[in-house]
Amino acid sequence: MEPANPLLDDYVLTLAQAKEPRILFLPTASGDTTTQINAFYARFGGRSCVARYASLFRLGDLECSLAELVLAQDIVYVGGGSMRNLLAIWRAHHLNGLLIEAWRRGTVLAGISAGAMCWFEGGVTCSSGAPEPMAGLGLLEGSLTVHADGEPERLPVWLSSVRAGTLPGGWAADDGVGLLFRGQQLERVVSSRPGAGAQRVDAIAGELVRHRVEPELLGGEQPTRAPVLDDDVRELRRVHRLRREMTGKTHRFNDM
Amino acid sequence: MRTRIPQIVALGGGGFSMEKDGSLLDDYVLSLVSSRRPRICFLPTASGDADHYVVRFYRRFSTYCEASHISLFRRDQGGAGVEEDLASHLLSQDVIYVGGGNVVSMLGVWRAHGLDDILRRAWREGIVLCGPSAGSLCWFEEALSAFHGPPRRVRGLGLLPYSNCVHYDAEPARRAEYHSLVGEGMRRGFAVDDGVALHFHDTQLARVVSSRADGRAYQVEQVGGEVFEAALEVSCLRTGSPAPVAIGRAVAAA
Repeated sequence: MEPANPLLDDYVLTLAQAKEPRILFLPTASGDTTTQINAFYARFGGRSCVARYASLFRLGDLECSLAELVLAQDIVYVGGGSMRNLLAIWRAHHLNGLLIEAWRRGTVLAGISAGAMCWFEGGVTCSSGAPEPMAGLGLLEGSLTVHADGEPERLPVWLSSVRAGTLPGGWAADDGVGLLFRGQQLERVVSSRPGAGAQRVDAIAGELVRHRVEPELLGGEQPTRAPVLDDDVRELRRVHRLRREMTGKTHRFNDM
Repeated sequence: MRTRIPQIVALGGGGFSMEKDGSLLDDYVLSLVSSRRPRICFLPTASGDADHYVVRFYRRFSTYCEASHISLFRRDQGGAGVEEDLASHLLSQDVIYVGGGNVVSMLGVWRAHGLDDILRRAWREGIVLCGPSAGSLCWFEEALSAFHGPPRRVRGLGLLPYSNCVHYDAEPARRAEYHSLVGEGMRRGFAVDDGVALHFHDTQLARVVSSRADGRAYQVEQVGGEVFEAALEVSCLRTGSPAPVAIGRAVAAA
């Protein structure tokens, strides 16, 4: 969900069989922030799909069980945030089993950042501060590290983890790059931004073997202005900063 | 050398996050610590670390206390409240205040960050643990979480060997749900109205206090296949009784 660039999200919608896919957003990794939920509706609300979200902090809002909801979707879209919290909360609500079941039934699983790494055997998370390797759900073989260009402190941690064998080999993806897996096979690498790329890295006899993967630029002939990339990254970081300067809205927490 | 006994104040609902004039239960908690400017740390995990909740915590406590909070969702950013080691920060507090929200999500996140062990240690060291709703349920062996769909039996941290049900008056379905779970073998425990708090010394219920004249709490247990509910004696903090302060001193001197 890049603020000014819908190419990856539109691409995700094309992967579902349905003409008007049902797409469920899980903002769990952020703590179900309103900011993320609003961004999801801003992007998908006006598109040809049935968009909704599920909060695992405010489950009372749901009119059916979580299982019914998840298994009825064409697409499940997972937002970014804390990968550690994401997986812990899913486990606590038995959602990981449901997502695996949905995946087996053909639901498209998509996600950004923590919501991308969670499907792999492992990723690199900053959930506890400094970047560190962390196990994912393991639907996809190998590991993934994200924001390879936008948050450069992750990449060295990932590379050394792969070299040391703490994480299996896998992919490093820049901001704006999407990897499409059909089953467990990588089928396509796409990008919403010119210049963004990915790399495949494996440790062979203790040495890292790196291959650059050139993504297909989405959007056909429409050139995406290169500066958009930097603006997007800056905007995201700015939103993060703003969130820290807390606003004084009141809210009642009466449910447990 | 003064040793502090473990204390938990479990609110059925209320305190700064729910009551407009919600100072009485919070004041009661503060009265339990002897320091002039208590160190109090807020854990808003059950709300997903909602910013507005954190702001209201500081508004309520920062005048009289050394207030801080820990966000387990934003440890990668400057706004996480506490950047230092979680354990040393929490173990240096006088009070740890746990906010309301979803108890299942909260316990999952706590375990993922090792907070369950840290909080157990904090309790043993005499740091006062408190909180409303999810911030109450979490301390018990078992709890009724009626957050979504059918009521769910949830395993808490188990510091208190009972079960717990909150918002007992505010949500009418809770009584039947709780009775039925206790009837099915959930351990005996306490049902608590909004505005009412159970104060435990170690694992013993020492006192029940209320910010409302009509606040109630009950002990619920199964005897011979039947579920019984007995009303507990409640001290209303609104009467102007100096009792909370007196208790605080007694505890501090213990």
